[in-house]
Amino acid sequence: MNLAIIEKEGLRLFLAELLRRKNTVVGVKDQSAVSSIPGDSGFYTYAPINSPEEMTLSFDVTLIPPKKYLLPAYEQLLTFNLSPGSIKADAPKEELIVFGVHPYDIIAINQMDKVFSAVPQDNHYLERRKRTTIIGIDPVKAAPRAFWSSMGADTVAGGFDLMLTDIGQCYVTEVGSKKGASLLKMAPGAREAAPAEAKERDKVRAEARKRCDANRLNFSYLELPSLLDGKEEHVIWEEKSYLCFSCGTCNLVCPTCYCFDVRDDVSIDLKKGSRYRTWDGCLLSDFAQVAGGGNFRGHRADRYRHRFYRKGQFIYRRFGDIACVGCGRCSAQCPSDIADPVAVFNRLKEGI
Amino acid sequence: MSKPRVAIFDFAGCEGDQLQIVNLEEVVLDVLGQVEIVTWREAMKEQSDHYDIALVEGSITRKSDEERIKAIREKAGILVAIGACATIGGVNCIKNFQDEKFVRRYVYGDKAHWYNTYAARPVSAVVPVDANVHGCPINREEFVQILKALLQGKKPFIPNYPVCVDCKKAGNVCVLLKGQFCMGPVTRAGCGACCITEGAYCWGCRGLVDDPNMDAARELLGRLGISAGEALGQIRLYDGYGEEAR
Repeated sequence: MNLAIIEKEGLRLFLAELLRRKNTVVGVKDQSAVSSIPGDSGFYTYAPINSPEEMTLSFDVTLIPPKKYLLPAYEQLLTFNLSPGSIKADAPKEELIVFGVHPYDIIAINQMDKVFSAVPQDNHYLERRKRTTIIGIDPVKAAPRAFWSSMGADTVAGGFDLMLTDIGQCYVTEVGSKKGASLLKMAPGAREAAPAEAKERDKVRAEARKRCDANRLNFSYLELPSLLDGKEEHVIWEEKSYLCFSCGTCNLVCPTCYCFDVRDDVSIDLKKGSRYRTWDGCLLSDFAQVAGGGNFRGHRADRYRHRFYRKGQFIYRRFGDIACVGCGRCSAQCPSDIADPVAVFNRLKEGI
Repeated sequence: MSKPRVAIFDFAGCEGDQLQIVNLEEVVLDVLGQVEIVTWREAMKEQSDHYDIALVEGSITRKSDEERIKAIREKAGILVAIGACATIGGVNCIKNFQDEKFVRRYVYGDKAHWYNTYAARPVSAVVPVDANVHGCPINREEFVQILKALLQGKKPFIPNYPVCVDCKKAGNVCVLLKGQFCMGPVTRAGCGACCITEGAYCWGCRGLVDDPNMDAARELLGRLGISAGEALGQIRLYDGYGEEAR
């Protein structure tokens, strides 16, 4: 059964069963259900869930992408002893089910898989990835700054174990892996989808795409690598970065940004310690600073430009992917509101 | 090898940072295993003029403070400023924008003439400082990190990026996204964005990053409907000695 139907109540029971079997499930929560701070409602975050009711599947976009489970903000890599000298690598052991991931975020994870599989492969990432089950969901809403429909990221062909589409009374459920197929067996009442239901899925997806088209690139995203050719001296980089705080928000909330810094923490008696990594970002002023104090991108405009080239050209040349999936997080969360790729790329296309 | 000798001194401040050191709890014995504290008015009665590392809390607010801090600087191999009053001037500098005589009378009443105070300033305004432990109060973990780096002969890691980084790592909802004021985008990180995590906003107690974008800050505050006067008041709360507050 490649395309199945799970009734709404069936999905709730499915999730309850996963929890009953002591699986660690993270899902999307409205921040108002997590935080007691006034004004935090309407913002969505991934968080561990204990009951199906805590979770929502009708979110538009989360503040931080699910990358935080594959590449945590802080991750211990190894511990060491200095006398006698020994090193022990940490191995992630936790099995995780991420319930409710939009296609654009799955595409971003697929990109990270490529990046971290390339030599030298990143065993910490790959181990976490292997231990993570992804249950996707097609978006029913488009965030105001989202433009995934312009980035070929409205649907995704693989990278998930199950992919749900809400067609009203039930979910059309696509199986994406063996793990997904065996999970599906735990969903009470799951049955093969009828052709009409598969068609209904196409219709729901087309409607979602249309909603997202309200904010779009005026050209095909596949043109981005060539569009950026020769635009290094364009006035837009200085103009926009004039208001850049170098706060790195655009990097940190980006599902395809994976840069990290590595540091050692040595015990106070200097006998042992640990090495950990933590998120970094190319917009931070010291990101490209090297020993001796030199900085390859000491100016805001250089850093600001670098991000757009990385998204539209550098990663494409190295891995064949455009490193922007149109989630709109950078655009929505930049304190100065200068990070919107739609605004920048459309203007470059217009040639003004 | 004998343990490095550490002396702790205070100038104008609330002693809250020393209290953070007293409160190191589970690691306090580890720290004391590696250093010998020889002077610490707040926590012990012994004192000594022979020390390698001086930890200094508080701001410099009197001519006589200058002589004292210079003498400390001379004796110490390494001088570390701890807490906002010592690192950036802190709340003491609020008085710098008020009438000196009025402030002195307000605090000391009819004994005001006994106290020869002047505009408050950070330790670095008088003597060179080797490391800053920022914050009001200091973060205990960061204090230990910096102390360890110094004991190893390493340059301590003190972030030069804004609090927004810590906030994103903590998974907080951005205060600015909620349309409220926050000093985060121009304030030096390292605190773990504790105030935002607890539902407040960033007050800027760690001072500004090395290259704050104040044009962007002005633009942003305008968008939030916050006047330049209000914003200046916020900067002066902790960073009154800094050039952006003058």
